[in-house]
Amino acid sequence: MCLAIPMQVRDIDGFLARCEAKGVSREVNLFLLQDETLQAGDFVMVHVGYAIQKMTEQEARSAWEVYDEMLEKLDPAHA
Amino acid sequence: MSTSAKTWLERIHALPIKNKLRIMNVCGGHERSITMAGLRGALPKQIELIPGPGCPVCVCPEEDVYQAIQLALHENIILVAFGDMLRVPVNVGKADIRSLEQAKASGADIRPIASPSEAVRIAREHPDRDVVFFAAGFETTTAPVAAMLAEGVPHNLALLLSGRLTWPAVSMLLNSDTPGFDCLIAPGHVSTVMGPEEWAFVVKDHGLPAAVAGFTSESLLAAMYSVLRQHLEQRPFLDNCYPEIVRPGGNTAAQRVMQQTLQVVDANWRGVGVIPASGYGLAPEYAHLDVRARFPDYTDTARKRAGQMPPGCDCAKVVLGKIYPNACRLYGRACTPRNPIGPCMVSDEGACRIWWSGGVRESTAAAIEV
Repeated sequence: MCLAIPMQVRDIDGFLARCEAKGVSREVNLFLLQDETLQAGDFVMVHVGYAIQKMTEQEARSAWEVYDEMLEKLDPAHA
Repeated sequence: MSTSAKTWLERIHALPIKNKLRIMNVCGGHERSITMAGLRGALPKQIELIPGPGCPVCVCPEEDVYQAIQLALHENIILVAFGDMLRVPVNVGKADIRSLEQAKASGADIRPIASPSEAVRIAREHPDRDVVFFAAGFETTTAPVAAMLAEGVPHNLALLLSGRLTWPAVSMLLNSDTPGFDCLIAPGHVSTVMGPEEWAFVVKDHGLPAAVAGFTSESLLAAMYSVLRQHLEQRPFLDNCYPEIVRPGGNTAAQRVMQQTLQVVDANWRGVGVIPASGYGLAPEYAHLDVRARFPDYTDTARKRAGQMPPGCDCAKVVLGKIYPNACRLYGRACTPRNPIGPCMVSDEGACRIWWSGGVRESTAAAIEV
């Protein structure tokens, strides 16, 4: 439940954004980042469908690598 | 370029560590990263990495899970919950329904969700039905629940809120006679929301080293190196090894939204008991959304082992870092991810489940005679 995933903002409509991570697109709620200025192309850390912080592209990419490694190692019972 | 994991490991191995040192983490995500990267085996043998209270599903009161099951079975509702909650068994007789998953199989309308926004969507799609959102989680999950409340929820959505704060459980351990650890790795995403300062008490009040870590091996090893050096130099301070998104003060907008919609209350932790000021309840303006205000209370005071862990299950000790997961007598025997007995084997953030995923398949405890 606590696994947060970095995503890139594609477009924004109010507090809702279409975000993307490694080809997967999701609707993300931006309400918790209401004090930040966000625009398409920015990276955010997303947890249970809500962006909890802005982040840099470099940090997003290193986090994606970690998740890729973990997914490779998961046992069949997890799937 | 940031320092590589290999370099951090070399630096750690170069430290003059003579005695056993126990580093506790309090985040299922940290434990998963540590286990999957095999960091335990890569560190000097004097260093023990102890998974502590980092699994909200594991400490969610058994009574709340029981309540959710009964509501789903007896009321004409749609019950929505994060997927992890569905397989948590409660203590009931063999013929009775013991999990939300079993209740769903017997016909109750129970739907796993991945976000509070899905609870709102389902309630909007079914305006003629009541929807109950069973919301367990630490601060990182509770902040989105607060955002959901602040944005406004449909009239037919009610909450069974089991949100918990992370730091009070660590404080409770440190105030006990046997904290069980010498250094703390503080949780990355809890600190992202609440601010790293929440963990300053570990240093100020207890004199122990602490460092906030992210989820890469580099960040975790940097935090371990930091707390080990702090310990060796006897110069503890709160370090931040996840500065990319953990900023001083945290996410103040999120904290504001939480203060507007929630209040901090004394709360029960499964297998642990009540920890003062460790839970989230609804603020008075949102109290009408509490499931307890809208539906009957299904608490059965005669139910055996209500609130406890299942018989023979050591999840309570695992959650508090008193034993390693495979020291439980049920681990890998009666209790596996396919047939979990305790919540620590159910949740993706449970230490037992993570160790099993990491390849630890055998219990070190003597088998129970049946």
